[in-house]
Amino acid sequence: MRQERFQRQHEPEWTALDQWLRLRGSVRRRDRARDHDALIGDEDFPALYRRVCQHMALAERRGYSSLLIDRLQDLVHRGHLVLYRPPAPRLGRIVYFFTADFPRLVRAQWRAMGVAALLFFVPLMLMIGLLQWRPELAHSIFSYQQLSEVEAMYDPAREGARLGRESGSDLQMFGFYILNNVSIGFRTFASGLLFGIGSIIVLIMNGVMIGGIAGHLTAIGYGEPFWRFVVGHSAPELLAIVISGGAGLQLGMALIAPGRRTRGRALVEAGVIGARLVLGVFAMLVFAAFVEAFWSSIGWMPNVVKFTVGGMLWLLILMWLWRGGRGRTDAA
Amino acid sequence: MLDTLSQVETPEGIFLRLRSAGVMPRAVAWAVDFGLRLVVVWVMSILLAVLGETGMGLYLITLFVVFWAYPVLFEVLRDGQTIGKKAMGLRVVNANGTPVTWIASIVRNLMRTVDMLPLLYGFGFVAGLIDPRGRRLGDLVAGTLVVHVGNPHQHVDAPEVPVFHPPVPLNAAERAAIIAFAERAPQLTVERQQELAGILAPLTGGQGASGVQRLYGMANGFLGRR
Repeated sequence: MRQERFQRQHEPEWTALDQWLRLRGSVRRRDRARDHDALIGDEDFPALYRRVCQHMALAERRGYSSLLIDRLQDLVHRGHLVLYRPPAPRLGRIVYFFTADFPRLVRAQWRAMGVAALLFFVPLMLMIGLLQWRPELAHSIFSYQQLSEVEAMYDPAREGARLGRESGSDLQMFGFYILNNVSIGFRTFASGLLFGIGSIIVLIMNGVMIGGIAGHLTAIGYGEPFWRFVVGHSAPELLAIVISGGAGLQLGMALIAPGRRTRGRALVEAGVIGARLVLGVFAMLVFAAFVEAFWSSIGWMPNVVKFTVGGMLWLLILMWLWRGGRGRTDAA
Repeated sequence: MLDTLSQVETPEGIFLRLRSAGVMPRAVAWAVDFGLRLVVVWVMSILLAVLGETGMGLYLITLFVVFWAYPVLFEVLRDGQTIGKKAMGLRVVNANGTPVTWIASIVRNLMRTVDMLPLLYGFGFVAGLIDPRGRRLGDLVAGTLVVHVGNPHQHVDAPEVPVFHPPVPLNAAERAAIIAFAERAPQLTVERQQELAGILAPLTGGQGASGVQRLYGMANGFLGRR
C-alpha cells in the first residue's frame, strides 16, 4: 500500500489517539478534561494505542517517509508513557512493606548486615572500653573545643535544662535531626558504590565518634545524663545506620563480585535492594529523630522509665527485624 | 551508530527510539533546578523566620525535602521531568523506555552523593562522557536514562511535483532514503540540494536542478501521490 492511502485510511485513529493523549493523558488529574466531544473512552485507549503501534511497525517496514514515522513514533511514545505509568503507592502496600518486606529484606542480606554491625559496634565498644582505661586518649580524637561542647551539654550540674542540647525548641531539634541524621543514613548507603569503601569508612568513623563521646562522658562522670538522653533513640538510630551501611556494602559487593551476572546487571539489582532498605532506614531515622527531639530531651523523667522505654525499643525493633514477615504469604 | 539514538523493544513488538541526552543539557537542567531550589529555600527562610525556633525546625525540614525529595517526587509524579528537565526538554525513563519508577528514581537520586564527588559532579561528568548513552553513575545503578523529548527532525512535506519512475526497482531502505531527501531538501541551499542529488545522477539521469526535481518526482511516486 502506498503511503498516501495508508495515511488517509488511518488518519482518524491517529487524530483520536492524539486528542485523547492531549486531553486525558496528563499526569495531573485536574489537567484532564472530563467531557469532550469526539473523545474516545478511557477503556478504548489501550486497544487504540496498540493499533497505532502496529501502524508504526508497518510504516517502518514499508519504508514510509520519516515525517510520518516521526509522527507515529511521537504518538506511540506518548501513549507508552501513559500506559506504563507507575501506579501511585497504595496504603496497604506501604503497610505490608514495613511489616513484612523490609524485615525480610534485612534478613535476606544478613551477611552484609552482620559485617556492617561488626564494623560499627566493635569500634564503638572498643572506644568506650578504651576510654575507661586511658581517659586522656579522648584528646587525641576530639579537639578541646568539641569536648567542652559535649561536656556542657551533659553536665549533671545543669539545673532544669533539657537533656542533650545547648538550646533550641523540640521542633527545631527535630528538623535538625531529620536533615542531619537522615542525610547521613542516605550517604552511608550511597557511598557504598565506591567498592564499599565509603560505607566502611562511615560505619567505622561513626562507631569511633559515638563510642568516643560515650566513653569520654562516662569516664569523667557525666555518664548518667548522657545515657539517660541517648537510651531512648539509640535503638532505631544505631540500627538504621547499620542497615544503611549493610545496604551500601551489598552494593559495593555487587560491583566487586557480581557472580554470574554482568556488573551492570548486578549493580541494578543491588540498587533496587539498597533503595528498598533505605526506605526502611528513612522511616527508622524519622522515628529516631522524633524520639530524640520530643522524648529523650525530657529532663525530669525518672531513670527507670527512660531505661525501660529504651530497652523496650531495642527489644521491639530487634523482634520486628527478626520476626517481621515470617509465616506470611505474599498477599499484597 | 554514530549518534546517541538507542532503540528499545516494547511489549507491543515495536521499537521506541530513545535519544539519550549528553552532559551539557543535563548540567543546564540541573543548574535551573538548583537556582529554583535556592529561591524556594531563600523565600522559606524569610517566611519561617517570623516563627522563631519553630520556624527554624520547619526550615530545616524544608531543606531536607528540597534537597532529597524534590527530584524523586517530580521525576515520578511528573512523567520523569523536574522543572529544569522540562525546561531543557529532557525526561528520565527506565532503560526500557517505560516511565521511571519510584525505586529507580530513589536510587538515581541517592547516588548523586557519589556523582557529586570529588567536587561539582566530577564523577558524574566523567561517567557521562565515557558512557555512550551519557549516563552518570546514578543512572547506571538505577538502570535509567535521560532522554530528549520531542522530535529532532525538521522535516517538511515533500514538494509536489509530477511523478518520475526510477529506471530500476528500489528496495524499502532506498525508497525511504529518497523520501527523506525530498522532505529534508527544501531546507537546504540550492547548491547543497544539487550536490546531494548529483550523487544519484546515474539513477536519475539528470544533473543539477533536473536531478533534484527527478528525485522529488520519485519521492512523490513512492508516497503514492498522483
